[in-house]
Amino acid sequence: MTLQVETRTAIERARDRYPVARSAILPALWAVQHEQGLITPDAMSEIAGILQVTPSEVEAVSTFYSMYFQHPHGRHEVIVCINVSCALRGAEGIVDHLERTLGCASGETTADGAFTWSSTVECLGGCGGAPTMQVDHHFQENLTPDRVDQILGALRSAGSEGEAPASLSAAASGQDSDESPAQGSAGETPLTTPKEPAPTATSAPVVKKRPRRPGKAAQ
Amino acid sequence: MAEYKLLTKDFGAVGLQTLKGYERVGGYQGLRDAFAKFTPEALVAEVKTSNIRGRGGAGFPTGMKWSFLPKDVFPRYLCCNADESEPGCFKDRYLIDESPHQLIEGLLIASYALQVNISFIYIRGEYHDQRLLLERAVEEARAAGYIGRNILGSGFDCDVIVHGGAGAYICGEETALIESLEGLRGQPRLKPPFPAVKGLYGQPTVVNNVETLCNMPHIVQRGGAWFKALGTEKSAGTRVFCCSGHIKRPGNYEMQLGTPIRELLEEECGGIWQGRSLKAFQPGGGSMQVLLPQHLDLPLDMNAVQEAGSSLGAGAMIFMDETTCLVDVSMRLVDFYRHESCGKCVPCREGTYFESELMHRLEAGLATRAELASLADICSNMDGRCFCPLGDTATWFVMSAYKAFGDEFEAHCGAGRCPVRAQATALVA
Amino acid sequence: MTAVAETGTPPEQPDDGRVGISIDGRELRVPKGTLVLDAATEAGIHIPIYCAHPKMDPVAVCRMCLVNIEKFPKPQPACATVAGDGMVVRTDLPEVTKLREGMLEFLLLNHPLDCPVCDRGGECDLQDFTFRYGPGISRFPITEKVHFKKALPLSEHIELDQERCILCWRCVRYYDEITGEKEIVLQQRGVDTLVATFDDRQLESKFQGNLPEVCPVGALTHRKYRFVSRPWDLQRTASVCPECSYGCNINVDSRDFEVRRFASRDNPLVDDMWLCDRGRYSFDRWNSSERVRRPVVRSDDESRDVSVAEAITQAARRLREIADEYGAASIGVLGSSTSTNEELFLLERIARQVIGTPHVDHQLEPFEELSAAEHELGIAEIEDCDALVVLGAEPEEQAPVLTLRLYKAERKKGAQVIRMSGDVAVAEAVAAASGSTRIGLIADETNRAHAAEVAAALGAVGSVRRLTITRGINGRGAKDLGLLPNVGPAYASVSERGKNGRQILEGLAAGEMRGLLMLGPNPALEAAGDLLERAVRKAACVVAFDTRPGVVSRYATVLFPGHAVFEKTGSVTNVEGRVQRIRAGLPPASATPVETRVLTRLAGELGAVGWGSGDPLAVNRLLRDEFPAYGRAGNGGRAVFTAEAVA
Repeated sequence: MTLQVETRTAIERARDRYPVARSAILPALWAVQHEQGLITPDAMSEIAGILQVTPSEVEAVSTFYSMYFQHPHGRHEVIVCINVSCALRGAEGIVDHLERTLGCASGETTADGAFTWSSTVECLGGCGGAPTMQVDHHFQENLTPDRVDQILGALRSAGSEGEAPASLSAAASGQDSDESPAQGSAGETPLTTPKEPAPTATSAPVVKKRPRRPGKAAQ
Repeated sequence: MAEYKLLTKDFGAVGLQTLKGYERVGGYQGLRDAFAKFTPEALVAEVKTSNIRGRGGAGFPTGMKWSFLPKDVFPRYLCCNADESEPGCFKDRYLIDESPHQLIEGLLIASYALQVNISFIYIRGEYHDQRLLLERAVEEARAAGYIGRNILGSGFDCDVIVHGGAGAYICGEETALIESLEGLRGQPRLKPPFPAVKGLYGQPTVVNNVETLCNMPHIVQRGGAWFKALGTEKSAGTRVFCCSGHIKRPGNYEMQLGTPIRELLEEECGGIWQGRSLKAFQPGGGSMQVLLPQHLDLPLDMNAVQEAGSSLGAGAMIFMDETTCLVDVSMRLVDFYRHESCGKCVPCREGTYFESELMHRLEAGLATRAELASLADICSNMDGRCFCPLGDTATWFVMSAYKAFGDEFEAHCGAGRCPVRAQATALVA
Repeated sequence: MTAVAETGTPPEQPDDGRVGISIDGRELRVPKGTLVLDAATEAGIHIPIYCAHPKMDPVAVCRMCLVNIEKFPKPQPACATVAGDGMVVRTDLPEVTKLREGMLEFLLLNHPLDCPVCDRGGECDLQDFTFRYGPGISRFPITEKVHFKKALPLSEHIELDQERCILCWRCVRYYDEITGEKEIVLQQRGVDTLVATFDDRQLESKFQGNLPEVCPVGALTHRKYRFVSRPWDLQRTASVCPECSYGCNINVDSRDFEVRRFASRDNPLVDDMWLCDRGRYSFDRWNSSERVRRPVVRSDDESRDVSVAEAITQAARRLREIADEYGAASIGVLGSSTSTNEELFLLERIARQVIGTPHVDHQLEPFEELSAAEHELGIAEIEDCDALVVLGAEPEEQAPVLTLRLYKAERKKGAQVIRMSGDVAVAEAVAAASGSTRIGLIADETNRAHAAEVAAALGAVGSVRRLTITRGINGRGAKDLGLLPNVGPAYASVSERGKNGRQILEGLAAGEMRGLLMLGPNPALEAAGDLLERAVRKAACVVAFDTRPGVVSRYATVLFPGHAVFEKTGSVTNVEGRVQRIRAGLPPASATPVETRVLTRLAGELGAVGWGSGDPLAVNRLLRDEFPAYGRAGNGGRAVFTAEAVA
């Protein structure tokens, strides 16, 4: 057994909410990724045991969805949209800037393990604030190179804890009202990136089947 | 007929994301009215009367969709499709961000009409904050008795489950959404049987878009006939249009249907930016065909836009100015489809790959004229042959752009670089 | 040529459960629910398919079978479209030709051009359809294809080439719909999609060998067939798998007088086109060169090769001498569950009618209270049961393909499969099956007595039919034809109960019995080990047929070279009583005539008249005349005996 008790509990709780247990595969994978930073075969076997499916079915599902990691990522996840709306407003400039400042190519992790960044053709739904990126699942819009530096710098100075600085998350969630919503819910599975850095973020990528990136000339 | 605020009327009100804030602007009165004034059958009839068509892209009449459910087969399920992933589309995110309870209320009204006891909101994985917002809102609503057993003393029970996706555009296709919700790979199902007959867990199922459901509290409170009078004969009500690209004020604008596109562009969006002029626009998101400046006087009406050779789709307007390279835009969209093809059927899986490789060569100025000629043929071998609409639509924009901007495409052949970009760079410099 | 369908109102048709459909102008009526693909096949019109499979639900992913159907805005997949009344289907339009070319062009984009080294070459649907319907040229400007793993061993039996895979999903659906094991699944998505096992682990299924057969291309291949042959160099013979009594139909593919592979030969009533790995990969056993090749006659001090005629004369003389001196009852006769019905038919008659001994058997232990009723349930009828009680693991170990039929009943018909321990308490079995009305009880023949008790008790719950798993390719035939000490042919009672196999061997070893006539090879007797050796060494006369050198061939007084199962023609009866033909696919290892001819001549030497030539087909006619149950079964039907239990 490799999963932490809280993770197992979250998966079991998700399983019990659905009319059919296997519906909880996606929430279960989220819970695992939250804990471990990626989806490993051991974890898939454990999910399979809890949900009464075969491990192969879990792997079939986990590799289909682009947000589950099959290899270790950095402490922070940066995804830049390069679909049409963002491209029309300068997404390629942001991509170039990130490549230069982070010193690695799209899909790779910085040498210090702080950031894994990638450009994606999957529209993020931030077209109104293009160019857009998501940092640790929070939207960052109307980007300029300066704004990117500011965001990355804030994350770096917040240390290796992995928590987004308060100012950033407040701006992203749009909850600056005086009445804060009820906190936490019963079956909630937070899908933020793990608090602990992935153990082998840069040194030993355990790449099993890394999907090829579309369009060789995409970047 | 400028902006008409129905769904977005109260957006910006203090604390609207919370139950208290939503109740303060009259929230959940629609649900109370639904229980008080309608039997489930009457409610379905009222929605039919309203003439509302689905806001997800296909524009199928919602009331008719609801009436396809076989009688006396239970349990039934309702899934709210919040897997918004169409390039250029960000209205569902906006509707959830600003007023999560409006969606939940609409979902509950629809659940009551359809006699559904468990409803799902399938929200795309990238909308992480929106999912948390919805989960909190569901718990608030549950605590207040809007969700659960015997809701507001009506005798109607309904649970709501928020289900997060994990990065797959195809899950916006309703049968793929159902597969995904069942814990499978999000690949479209063979039809028939249709979801209305055999959907989630093999039971009758309705899948409705976020915006469609957000309309329900208003239809219940103001009546189907009132709603029908809004907009045009074939396109009733309002729609939230996601405007992006080369415009001064990108954003979401709720417009009464029938308003000319020009009004949306010039009055709401502030026109094309940087003093430039419009070259082309896409009226319905990444899947839809390109339209030209002469189409700006078309009304925002599903049928009218269809007659012009495109579609309002999911309501995403992408405007492109004169510096835009249509080959580059096509390439990005084709890349998108290649990335998002589920891989189930041959023409989509291999065709989008073929298209994408070709478009990269073309944009880089490496393709020959013969290769460009084969592009049209490849697209014709895909369109109408694929398992689901994803593969078909992967050809629509590129084909329409090739047709409208053939010279531009041909100028790329053997040019060794993108001629449009080179020209634009020179222009700006 | 049939004329193109007239437009206008079709003539009134009575509702006969069929619909009228026109395909390329050919009119036909097919049962409601028929798929357009199957209707086209019936009309003799070929529609290319990759994903469609006759044993699996349609998925319509390969798009190869798209056809034009009037009133449909888009081409429709023939594999997933149900024929509707008045439907007008066209497969001969330029539009259909073009889309097939288009699909093949797509499929070939990322398919490696390694046909020359691909084991599937020559029997590959991608090759064949490209030749027949393909575009002939490639327009793809990119020389670098998408690469995946090649020659990936999935187990000791199966190799996977992910580049050759065209993603028809058949292997995935096989593991989902047919075995339920889900060992191979789809991973990744889009153009990166591949078929793979969980964490690249090895396959563990007992039914892997079916994968290369469901694969339409060379993605999944047999490791034992790697670089072995092209299909056109193989000689194919239709036969029956000899590994167990289930009776799976196979094609024996041989080259240069050796079996190179077993291929399935769909019999929906028996194997449903699936073989188990134990059976499928047993083929090279039949290529052994360790064989008995000449008739031998032995006396105390010498052993010499003789002619067949002399061997027959000697065998008859010695058996007669024993009978004259010690009485016919001092001779035991043992058949084998590997023998054909024709051989067993002759042997039983020689024993009881010609020699006149009651000591007849084909194995060691007796079957007490044997009745035809324990063989009542047919294999296909398993699907008609609403509960299937399986006693112990032995039935599925002995006849593995049974597992797939049980899964089919469970998955497609909603039957309840109840697996219990072999010695389960009767009350427990009754409780588990309560609520069922049609019960199938499946047990191994080593557990007959307990199964009878369970069956009797289950009778209070619902109707019960039993299937008893016999041993050997023809264990059932040996029972039907009376190679038993307590039961005569067709389950008739016998006037005098004879000794069973073990008692015969013990009698011979103790010197109480003197002579033995036996047909081999006989795995049941070989299991007796030391006892068998003592018996054949002590016996005054052993007339034996055997295929391989061993104890029997070493000590037999008169030895005839036997024919292995793929060297002779005849019939064998499977576990449910289905009488099936086996055919000679390999040349015999000796010049000795087949067993039926030798036995017939031996009978003649022993005084029998009018037995004919001994040609296997002639003996088969005699057998069918003698036993109406076999007469009615013919070739491929079930022999049904209505006789009740006999002591």
